[in-house]
Amino acid sequence: MVYYCKRKEREETLVIEVKNITKKYGNFVAVDDISFKINDGEIVGLLGPNGAGKSTTMNIITGFIEQTEGQVIVNGYDTIKKSKMAKGQIGYMPEGVPLYGELTVKEFITYMAELRKIKKKEKKQKVQKIMEQTGLNTMQNKLIQNLSRGQKQRVSLAGALVGNPKVLILDEPTVGLDPKQITEIRSLIKELGKNHTVILSSHILSEVSQICDKVIIINKGKIVAEDTPDNLERIVAENNIIYVTVEDNENKIESIKEKIKEIKEIKLIMQNEDKTKKYEIIGNKDVDLRKSIFTEFAKEGITIFEMKKPEATLEDAFMKIIGEGGKK
Amino acid sequence: MLAIIKKELKNYFFSPVGYIVIGVFLLVFSLFFFLTTIQSASADLTNLFYYAALGLMFIAPLLTMWTMSGERKNGTEQLIMTAPVNMFEVVIAKFLSAFLFIVILVLCTLMYFGILSFYQVPDIPTYLTAILGFILLSMAYIAVGILASSLTQSPMISGILTFGFVALSTWLPYLLQSFFPTLAETLSNLSLLDLFINFLYGQIDITAAILFITLTILCLAITMIIMKRRKSVK
Repeated sequence: MVYYCKRKEREETLVIEVKNITKKYGNFVAVDDISFKINDGEIVGLLGPNGAGKSTTMNIITGFIEQTEGQVIVNGYDTIKKSKMAKGQIGYMPEGVPLYGELTVKEFITYMAELRKIKKKEKKQKVQKIMEQTGLNTMQNKLIQNLSRGQKQRVSLAGALVGNPKVLILDEPTVGLDPKQITEIRSLIKELGKNHTVILSSHILSEVSQICDKVIIINKGKIVAEDTPDNLERIVAENNIIYVTVEDNENKIESIKEKIKEIKEIKLIMQNEDKTKKYEIIGNKDVDLRKSIFTEFAKEGITIFEMKKPEATLEDAFMKIIGEGGKK
Repeated sequence: MLAIIKKELKNYFFSPVGYIVIGVFLLVFSLFFFLTTIQSASADLTNLFYYAALGLMFIAPLLTMWTMSGERKNGTEQLIMTAPVNMFEVVIAKFLSAFLFIVILVLCTLMYFGILSFYQVPDIPTYLTAILGFILLSMAYIAVGILASSLTQSPMISGILTFGFVALSTWLPYLLQSFFPTLAETLSNLSLLDLFINFLYGQIDITAAILFITLTILCLAITMIIMKRRKSVK
């Protein structure tokens, strides 16, 4: 089963078009006939378990490796036929932040600017601007090999930002960072999303949920879902469940099912020491039971101590979708 | 391309390798300068280039061993290969930076020419021919080194491969002489060092020059093919 975006395609400029790409290593198919489109200004998360084909897909888009079949168009340029032009549209932050340790931060960013053929007149100013943007100003003369992991991550991001590329591809941008650094990088990516199209891969699903407009889930080299994080969460919210903790000495809860027709099932989960009971109430899909539960329970003299509606997370969606893909 | 050349040259001069190579080269060159010219009261500088060519067998692997394999080993290959530069520019830039380093070494030898000029005017055409031969030989050795570096992600193996090739191309004919004299003679015609020796006698050996240039182009072209092929199989 493949979940596809239900919303209308945004009428925005198409920046990345991946058309039926396949990558084979001998008999092993790493990426199997993948197609998707990304519009200008979107932040897209590429998700999938290890070995699913995320990095391979990213590497194909960046032009680091070539696909066996299919076509990738970046801002109008074919990544094979017009590779130099296509690469010019992309800023890439590879996984594991490979950097030149023997260079200083400023030298590295200047080197990246020269590789991207930024005019000599503008180079100094642009390098300075990027260092300010990524918070590297204070460490510009430090050797990269002496920086912390978080600082290196910023340097790598700065390298990707040089030349103001249309597309930013970030492979696991927050891996190995402490919570404070993760928050900083996330806000930076959000900020960058205002002026760039961003594709990022991450294992942290809450992060993708917070940052991304769209999520593409890849499993075993195939796209198994493509939608907004909210829609994916909604899709997997199979049952409409509410947990209530009540005081119901006369056991009147049994009659509630007849009064609220939308309730499918009431299950006792736990009996607490203070004589309250915790129930799981399963209702029909797309019905909010909370109001009727409040009203009817009060009429029956059942006191509600706690009521909770668990939200489906992207993690649930991911596990479910990957699970289905796995079964297939 | 200029960006890569600048960075590579910086690498040579910001790391001990560059200074060690220049230091050892000048030390050995000075020693032989003293022995073959000052002490022998000879104005012939060309012999010095023979020893320099022997030294080049060690210098070329040292200069080229990190060029491609180092980038691969450190993962920085991804930075270059995803930048808007093509394979031709990358390979040529790597070649030119190592070659420019050799040119700097050659320029350093001008001081011996200057010192000798105080005593006697050296034979300028022969000196220039020797330099030309040395530069052509360097080009071939560096191209072999770049090719070897593209074959592996271990700089050490790359260095050994380069040294192995230049050493075999020089000494294999001598090693085979007792056992396979005909084969040894054929191979000696292809010995890079033997071909270079003609330049030391003031002759511009066109056949040797063509062979050095052909070997350079061939090695660089194969490097590009290997790198391009790796894009589709990696």
